[in-house]
Amino acid sequence: MNLFALARVLGGLGLALSAMLLVPLALSLADGDGAQAGFFGAIAAGLGGGASLLALGRRGSPDLTHREGFAVVTLGWFFFGVVGALPYRLTGALPTLVDAVFESLSGFTTTGATVLTDIEALPRSLLLWRATTHWLGGMGIIVLGLAILPMLGVGGMQMFRAEVPGPTADRLRPRIQDTAKLLWGVYVLFTAAETLLLMLGGLDWFEAVCHAFATMATGGFSTRNASVAGFGSAYVDAVITVFMFLAGVNFALHHAALTGGWRRVLRNEELRAYGLLTLGAVGILMIANAAGPYPDLLQNLRYSAFQAVSILTTTGFGTADYEAWPVVGQVLLVLLMFIGGCAGSTGGGMKVSRVVLILKHAWAQLWALIHPRGVRLVKMDGRPVPPEVLQGVLGFFALYLLVTGGGALAMAALGVEPVTAVASVIACVGNIGPGLGDVGPVDNYAHLPQTGKAVLTFCMLAGRLELFTVFVLFFPGAWRK
Amino acid sequence: MRVIVVGAGEVGFHTADRLAREGHEVVVVEQNRAALRSVEERLNVLALEGNGAEARVLEEAGIGECGLFIAVTDVDEVNLVACLLAKEYGVPVKIARVRSVAYTGRGAVLNAEKLGIELLINPMEAVAQDLINIASHAAAVEVAEFADGRILFVGYPITASSPVAGLTLAEIGELRAMYPFVVAAITRHGRTLIPRGDDTVEPDDHVFLVMRREDLGAVRYMFGLEKRQTRRIFVFGGGAVGQRVAEHFDRERAEVTLVEPDRARCEDLAARARRATILQADITEVDVLLSEGIGKADVVVATTPNEEKNILASLLAKRHGARRALCLVDQPAYVGLVPSLGIDACISPRLSTASAILKYVRRGGVLSVATVEENQAEVLELRIPEGFPWAHRPLREVPFPRGALVGAVVRGDEAFIPTGETALQPGDRIVVFALPEAVVAVEDFFGAQ
Repeated sequence: MNLFALARVLGGLGLALSAMLLVPLALSLADGDGAQAGFFGAIAAGLGGGASLLALGRRGSPDLTHREGFAVVTLGWFFFGVVGALPYRLTGALPTLVDAVFESLSGFTTTGATVLTDIEALPRSLLLWRATTHWLGGMGIIVLGLAILPMLGVGGMQMFRAEVPGPTADRLRPRIQDTAKLLWGVYVLFTAAETLLLMLGGLDWFEAVCHAFATMATGGFSTRNASVAGFGSAYVDAVITVFMFLAGVNFALHHAALTGGWRRVLRNEELRAYGLLTLGAVGILMIANAAGPYPDLLQNLRYSAFQAVSILTTTGFGTADYEAWPVVGQVLLVLLMFIGGCAGSTGGGMKVSRVVLILKHAWAQLWALIHPRGVRLVKMDGRPVPPEVLQGVLGFFALYLLVTGGGALAMAALGVEPVTAVASVIACVGNIGPGLGDVGPVDNYAHLPQTGKAVLTFCMLAGRLELFTVFVLFFPGAWRK
Repeated sequence: MRVIVVGAGEVGFHTADRLAREGHEVVVVEQNRAALRSVEERLNVLALEGNGAEARVLEEAGIGECGLFIAVTDVDEVNLVACLLAKEYGVPVKIARVRSVAYTGRGAVLNAEKLGIELLINPMEAVAQDLINIASHAAAVEVAEFADGRILFVGYPITASSPVAGLTLAEIGELRAMYPFVVAAITRHGRTLIPRGDDTVEPDDHVFLVMRREDLGAVRYMFGLEKRQTRRIFVFGGGAVGQRVAEHFDRERAEVTLVEPDRARCEDLAARARRATILQADITEVDVLLSEGIGKADVVVATTPNEEKNILASLLAKRHGARRALCLVDQPAYVGLVPSLGIDACISPRLSTASAILKYVRRGGVLSVATVEENQAEVLELRIPEGFPWAHRPLREVPFPRGALVGAVVRGDEAFIPTGETALQPGDRIVVFALPEAVVAVEDFFGAQ
C-alpha cells in the first residue's frame, strides 16, 4: 500500500470539500442565522487536514494501484463524513458526534435516514448543507474528483470502479476524466431541470434546489418534517416521482439518449427490467390499496406510484404512511428495498442488473438440470456475461445478505425491537432511509442507541460503496506492500 | 468460348467437365501432376501444368481470347490473385472460390465489387443455403425457387405407400386438372429420365415437380406427404455450415439443437445463439441425443467434416425416430451411395459450388438455374426475347429441343403451368427443365448467349 499516494489524494479531496462548504457558509452569513461558526470550523478542519495530507503525500511517489483505489474511496468517504458532520455538531443541532456523523454520512451515501426530530427548526444554511451532501454523494465524490482534480487521473479507473455502483462500469470516453465530466454534466442538467419544474409548481428557490438535490441523488432529505407530503401538491408529487425514476436509471444511458443513441437505450435489458419492475410494483400497490386507503383511482395512482418509485430507487421521500397500508404492500416495498436502482445510477440497493443476472443464472441452473450436456451462457443485452462478472455478482449477493443479517443481529443485540432491527439495517445498507416499525416513513432514527447508530452508519457506507470496496480493507493483504 | 479453370480439385474438375460437355473450349491449369493426369485422361479439355497465379502460365493457356475465368484452387489468395491477373488481361467474367468470410461476409472490407471480380463463391455458404432450402421443405430431396419464389421446383421421394406409386403419368395427369403441376423428371437407380405419359411412378423413385407455390399444400397432399412443418431440428457439427443452418432456423423460431463436441466452440455458438440449445456431445452419443429428444426431430442435418460419421449419425438418428436426415457428403463415391442407405438427401460442397458457378455462367437470357441429382439435369429460368420466332404459337407446335420441357410460365404478376395450348409471348419468363446434352440447345433456341 502506497500511503503517500493515498494521503495525496485524500488531501486533494479535503481541499475540494472545504470549497463546497463555502456555499452554505455564504447562505448562513446572508441569513445571519448564527450557524456560520459551524461552517468555519468544518472549513478549517477540511483545509488543515487536506493541506497536511497533501504535504505528506508530496514525499512519496504518486502512483496508485487498485489496492490504494479501494482505500482512497473508503477513507475519502469517511473523511467527508466526519468533516461534513462538523456543522451539525458545532452549531449544536445534534447532541453527539455519532449523531452528527450518522446524519452527515446518511447524506453523502444518499440514504436519507435522519436523527433530527424537528427539521423545520434548523437554519436554512444547515438544510442546504444536508441537501448538498446528498448531491455530492449521489454521483460520487471520486467521480467528481476525477472530473475537477487533475491529480486524480493516475489510477483513476480503479477508484472509478470502486465507487460507481453496478457489476461493471461503463466508459463513455477513452479517458476516465472525460467520462466523469460527462456524467456530472448530465447530472447537473437533470438537477437544473427539476429545480425549474419545482419552482413552476410554486416552491421557492431554496426548497426547489434542496429537493432537486435530494431527488437526483436518490437521497430523501427534505426541508419539511412531513417530507414531500408537506407541500400537499399533486404537481410536485408527479415531478418528483418522474425525476426519482430518472435518477434510478444508468446515467451512461441518459447520456446516450441525450446524444441521440436511442438504439442503445431501447436495447438495454436492465432498463427494460427496471421499467417493468416499476410498473409491476405500482400495479400491485394500486390493487392492494384500492380496497383500503385509496378508493379514488387518481389518488391511488398518485400515492402508490410515489411510494413505489421512492422505495425502489432508494430515495426515501414520503407522501403517505405506508405502514397503514395492507401488509402485502408493505412486504412488496421491503422486497423493492433489496433491488434498488440500475447500475451506474445514483440509486442504492443491489441494483436491477445484479438481480436480473442472479435470476438468469438460476434459470440457467434449472436448464442445466434438464440438459446435462447443454452449453448455455448467461447473456445480458445479447452478449454473454463473463464468468468472473457472474461470480462477482453471486459473491456480492452473498455478502449483501450476510451484512444485512449480521447488522440485524447486532441491532437486535442492542435491544432494538425485531422489526425495527431488521428494517433499519435493510434501509441503511440499501441507502433508502425509511424502513418499517419504529423507523417507518413518519418516524426517525433519533431514538436508537448510540452504538446502533454507529452500526447503521457503517452499513450505509458499506452499502453505498457496494460492500467489496469497504470489506477488502479488512483483509490484511490489502495493506501489505 | 474459351474457358480457363485454375485448380483441378473436385470443384474444378466438375465444372470443367460440365462446360466441356456443353461444347466450350476448356483449359485446366493445375500444379499437381496426378490431378492433372486424371483431368487429361477423363475430360475433353486441355490440361496445363503450372501456377494459375502466374502471368506466363495464363498466357500459355490463351488468356487473350478467354471469355470466362474460374479460379477454384484450395487457396483463397491464389484464386484472388489469379482473377486479378485475368482482370488485367481483360477477361469479361471472372469467378473465384474463397473460403474466408472476410471476403464474402456482410460488411467485408474487400468484397467482390472492390476486387473487380464478378463472383466470389464461398462453398460453405452455398452448401448451407442448399441444406436450409431442403430442410425447410418437409420430405423434399431437392428444392429450388424460380420467378422470385412464385414457382417451385421440388423433388419428392416415392415410397411404397405413396398414393401415386404405381400410377402412370397419364393417370396422374388426370389429377392435374385440379392441381396444376408438371412432372419434370424421374430419377430411378441413379438415372434421370424425362417421363412420357405411359411411364409409371415406382417406389424408390424420386419425382421432380414444377408447380406454383400456392399449390404446394395440395400437391403434397396428393403425394401423401404430411402437412407437418419443420419445427424440431437437430444440427450435427458446429462448423461454419452447421452454424449457418442452426442460426437460420433459430431466427425462424424453430426448436434447434446444435451438437458439437468441442467445449470452446460450444461456448462461441452459445454466445451467438438466441433460443437454440447447444449440446456438448459427440454426434454418435445416442443416449445423450435420445434424452434431448432426437426421436421427435423433424429433420437431422449432419454437417461435421467427417463424412462417414455424418452418414452413420444420420442413420442412427433415423433409426431412433428422426423423420428425415440430410447429410453433408463430399466423396463422389458416397454421393451416389447415400440415398440407397435411407438418408433423405445429401449435399456436397463440391456440387453446390459447381452449380453456383454454372448458375452464374448461364446469365444473359438465363435468369436462374438449379441442378438436379449431381448435375444430371438442370432447371433454367429464361426470358423470351423480342422477336422470338415461335411466339404466339401453341406450345405443341413449337419444335422444342429434345430432352427439355417447359415447366412453368410467368407473365407479369401471374404464374401458371402451361399446357399444349399455351402460347409464349415475348417478355414471358419460363422455367425449363433440361438434360445436360439439351442445355446448350435450349439456350440457343431461346436466343440466350
